[in-house]
Amino acid sequence: MADKLLKMGAVGESDAIQAFRAIGAVAVPATTPDEVTQALHRLAREGTPVIFITESAARMAPEAISRYEQTMETAVIPIPGIKGSDGYGEQKVRESVIKAIGADILNQNN
Amino acid sequence: MAQGKIVKVAGSLIVAEGMSSARMFDVVRVSRHRLIGEILELRGDRASIQVYEETSGLGPGEPVESTGAPLSLELGPGLIESIFDGIQRPLVDIRKKAGDRITRGIELPSLNREKEWDFVPVVKPGDKVASGDVIGSVQETPVVLHKIMVPYGIEGVVESIEQGSFKIEDTIAVVKGEDGQVHHLSMLQRWPVRRGRPYKEKLSPQMPMVTGQRVIDTLFPIASGGVAAIPGPFGSGKTVVQHQLAKWADADIIVYVGCGERGNEMTDVLMEFPQLHDPKTGETLMKRTVLIANTSDMPVAAREASIYTGITIAEYFRDMGYRVAIMADSTSRWAEALREMSGRLEEMPGEEGYPAYLSSRIAEFYERAGQVVCLGSDGRQGAISAIGAVSPPGGDISEPVSQATLRIVKVFWGLSAQLAYRRHFPAIDWLLSYSLYTDNLSEWFTDHVSPEWEQLRQRTMQILQEESELEEIVRLVGMDALSWKDRLTMEVARSIREDYLHQNAFDEVDTYTSLTKQYRMLRLILDYADKGQTALDAGVNLSDVISMKVRERIGRAKYIPEDSLKYFDEIEDELAFETNELINRGGL
Repeated sequence: MADKLLKMGAVGESDAIQAFRAIGAVAVPATTPDEVTQALHRLAREGTPVIFITESAARMAPEAISRYEQTMETAVIPIPGIKGSDGYGEQKVRESVIKAIGADILNQNN
Repeated sequence: MAQGKIVKVAGSLIVAEGMSSARMFDVVRVSRHRLIGEILELRGDRASIQVYEETSGLGPGEPVESTGAPLSLELGPGLIESIFDGIQRPLVDIRKKAGDRITRGIELPSLNREKEWDFVPVVKPGDKVASGDVIGSVQETPVVLHKIMVPYGIEGVVESIEQGSFKIEDTIAVVKGEDGQVHHLSMLQRWPVRRGRPYKEKLSPQMPMVTGQRVIDTLFPIASGGVAAIPGPFGSGKTVVQHQLAKWADADIIVYVGCGERGNEMTDVLMEFPQLHDPKTGETLMKRTVLIANTSDMPVAAREASIYTGITIAEYFRDMGYRVAIMADSTSRWAEALREMSGRLEEMPGEEGYPAYLSSRIAEFYERAGQVVCLGSDGRQGAISAIGAVSPPGGDISEPVSQATLRIVKVFWGLSAQLAYRRHFPAIDWLLSYSLYTDNLSEWFTDHVSPEWEQLRQRTMQILQEESELEEIVRLVGMDALSWKDRLTMEVARSIREDYLHQNAFDEVDTYTSLTKQYRMLRLILDYADKGQTALDAGVNLSDVISMKVRERIGRAKYIPEDSLKYFDEIEDELAFETNELINRGGL
């Protein structure tokens, strides 16, 4: 059980994800769309319940991400990369909020 | 013969008195114009008569004369390729004699009396024959061998029979009954339209009537000897479906009854059928077709008779051992004619003003269809498949005619205005329609098409049903909420709808699809579903699976001619190859 809980994955530029190795996560460096897609599929197939992905990597493989949006077994969580956040994670959260409640309450321009 | 006089005229209904010796359903001649009518009601010596022709100018006091016989049809060589009105008057001959409009009281024999037919006997003097036995035949058209049968009620020993050219009224055989009575048989028989022609035994249909229409043959097949209804709102393509069935249905004889619909629809049939060739015989479709026309501007009373006229002719050919298909377009107009007459008769109206006996009349018509063992000693089988269009006002099938029809028919091809609006033709709604013959017929399909057929059929239905459930979800939360598996299902369902169920009646190749081709097409689409799923499981992106190049070829598979089915192997190979390539590239 403990093993299962500890299992985490991280995908992205190798500089950004090295730190995850320290906490026992499986870190897969990926910098091209194909690499990112394959890394996500590999981790998901190995039964990794939580996969952290850097925002820049997530932007490269929107389709692979969308596949895991609907599955219960795997959660793909975008994190800021080495250059900081480019707004991808926030945008995803905002999309989810709009879908859930039907209004864009996070838009600060309102 | 009873001779009475008119006391009341109400549209096409007249009441005459002095008719005490007449009987129900006797045909009468009304007034000095000698209009044809039929007795619908007798009260003392008063008879209510429906007149099959325009009654303007008639008044009380004019004579009514009974012919002493019920409305009967002339059955014999000359029926095929003819076009009759509702009471079997030959429209072509009438046009020659009276011009474009039928003049009142015109009297012409239904079948050509002058034409000579080459009669070839199959029995010889001394043979014993019973009712329904074939005594000889006439090659009526290149595809129809018209069998001459012993009329019902006659039985005995053939005294003489001759070969040669005869007119239909000439004696071709003499049969001496056991009671010593001598019958002179000609090629012409008469039969009252309201009575079903007798048969030996009715059988349960076990074989489909292949129509070449994919949605019908695959999902909602009709049995040979089955009954089907096509209800649908205005503009949804009832007539086109009927025409398609008349053109391509796997039947020996087609009887097409145009009943209260537009004249140009009959014109279409008359113009098109002589141009189209039957794939099996190579002859034009007209060579196996009988047309009955009572278009919307023709007298309404004859509309009521037209359906019976059609089915009686169908029964006559069935008795020869043929598979006959009768299309009635539309039974709603016929029911409206019943309603009009019932109103004039001052009967108590039932639902929506239709007579209380509406459903029994509709049942009477459809029950005359079926697969039967014909009369006669050779045990031949014949079948009538009846297909009636129903035009419910506003497309609402809760109205009485649709409901009464649905109680009887076993196949329901519900046309949907929505599909027609989306230009999906034939607009047969797969979620609404049903066929109760599928269980009976699955064995035939397994033996004659493929053991996989039933399984493919069920899977197709299942995917289409899943699609409608998924559509609900998509409507609520959007396409993104679906898993890839479901999105692939939606994509396969779309392929089934657009590449398989959609069929262009006006495309030379697409208009007819053989069962083998249907099987190959369906297998191809479901193969794509399986291979697509395998690819997704292997990690290939959905967009790559959806945009596979081979899909264009799958979509165009319907245009592969019947004689080039080998292309299906090619497409299958390409599908397998492309899937493997995707998996190798995008998978893990």
